[in-house]
Amino acid sequence: MIRSTSIALAVARKDLRSEWRTRELVPALGQFVVLALVIANFGFQIDSRNAATIAPGVLWLTLVFAGLVAFGRAFAAEREQSSLEAMLLTPAPAAAIFAGKAMAAALLLVVCEAVLLPALSLFFGTPLSLPLVAAVLLATVGMATLGCLFAAMVARVRAREVLLPLLTLPLWIPFIIAGGQAVQVAMGATGSYNGALGLLLDFDILFLVLTSLAARFVLDD
Amino acid sequence: MTRYTKLAGVAVLLMLVAAALIFFYAPEDYLQRVPQRIFYLHVSSAIAAFGCFGVVLVSSVFYLRNGSLTADRLARAAALVGVVLTTVTLVMGMLWAKPIWGAFWTWDARPTSTLVLWIIYAGYLLLRRLADPGRQAARWAAIVGIFGFIDVPIVYFSVTWWRTQHPGPVILTNALPTEMLLTFLVTMACTLFLAGVMIAIRYRIEVLLDEAPSPALARAPVVAQREPEPAR
Repeated sequence: MIRSTSIALAVARKDLRSEWRTRELVPALGQFVVLALVIANFGFQIDSRNAATIAPGVLWLTLVFAGLVAFGRAFAAEREQSSLEAMLLTPAPAAAIFAGKAMAAALLLVVCEAVLLPALSLFFGTPLSLPLVAAVLLATVGMATLGCLFAAMVARVRAREVLLPLLTLPLWIPFIIAGGQAVQVAMGATGSYNGALGLLLDFDILFLVLTSLAARFVLDD
Repeated sequence: MTRYTKLAGVAVLLMLVAAALIFFYAPEDYLQRVPQRIFYLHVSSAIAAFGCFGVVLVSSVFYLRNGSLTADRLARAAALVGVVLTTVTLVMGMLWAKPIWGAFWTWDARPTSTLVLWIIYAGYLLLRRLADPGRQAARWAAIVGIFGFIDVPIVYFSVTWWRTQHPGPVILTNALPTEMLLTFLVTMACTLFLAGVMIAIRYRIEVLLDEAPSPALARAPVVAQREPEPAR
């Protein structure tokens, strides 16, 4: 158990260090997020009256597509240099390697959220509150585990850019239902915030357990 | 005439019997009139679709446990039939919703979760088509099949906690008159038989596809097969 954890942390550290040295994904994701907000502005005719009802939808749409870009890239470097096979040849358990990759990808998405949430608050005038951040972070955990599972899967398939959203998006819907509800309430709609947050937590636990069981079958050859 | 042709013929005849019951035997609903007759096939095909995805779930788990090729082919066949039956359910539901609810589509718990179900298994079929056939593709598809089956009740319940308009269960609550119940049970039995026959036929096709060379290989120019050089 301790060995698995240290392997996972080592893999995550490796991914984050490579991102820090190349700095290719995070700036691109930040720019993508701002661009999505600009497009939403033109698509929706946003003004001070409708901003609070539109903002949650814009947040989730942007986050979902930024997540797809981030997870799609998570295995790109490994594929280009065939280093995943090398890692799997080591005695390290596949689930630990997978957990490390997922942690790194989730952290990159959190950095992207650190751009998205203040930008949303700035452009749409919505409050940037603790309940909002908590709901988005909780959803990120589950979205990252599922997203990484399918990214690992399609990394070795033709037409992976098409297949990743088709497989991942429907399975993310529970997080968007519960997270959407929580963010709407945090931005002033009526409803139960605690109920939605509890549901997000349940989904996180369920998919973390399922993914850890399935990871072995995805990475093994 | 093969076994499969005979089975298919029986299934078609049974569906015609069901159609006769639906249109001539079942009484007309007092409020909804003719559109209510959609109910019989709509609910039957939904149940048959769930059954198919249940088969996908069980055979996927089985495949991951001991790698049986039979389980994998069964999952492939059942997923395809399930997607077809879900399409039937969705289309019939939309046709029914237009006169009764006033719109083809509402973002109600039932249609929404059924649409998600359709998208998940359409993705499953696409994965099977795009991944190179083999052990890995079968494993990945098995994981999609398992996660997909778990996702749908979640979507269903999480949406239903907030809003719903679709009628609840009527079979188990004894809300149907006897003629309607009988028509429904016959239609459901016929639809389940049809689904079983379709899975059997598709299973046979999967076996043949596994044995046949891949289409890309069959279309490739013959240049690849070089004659051995004659001895000098």
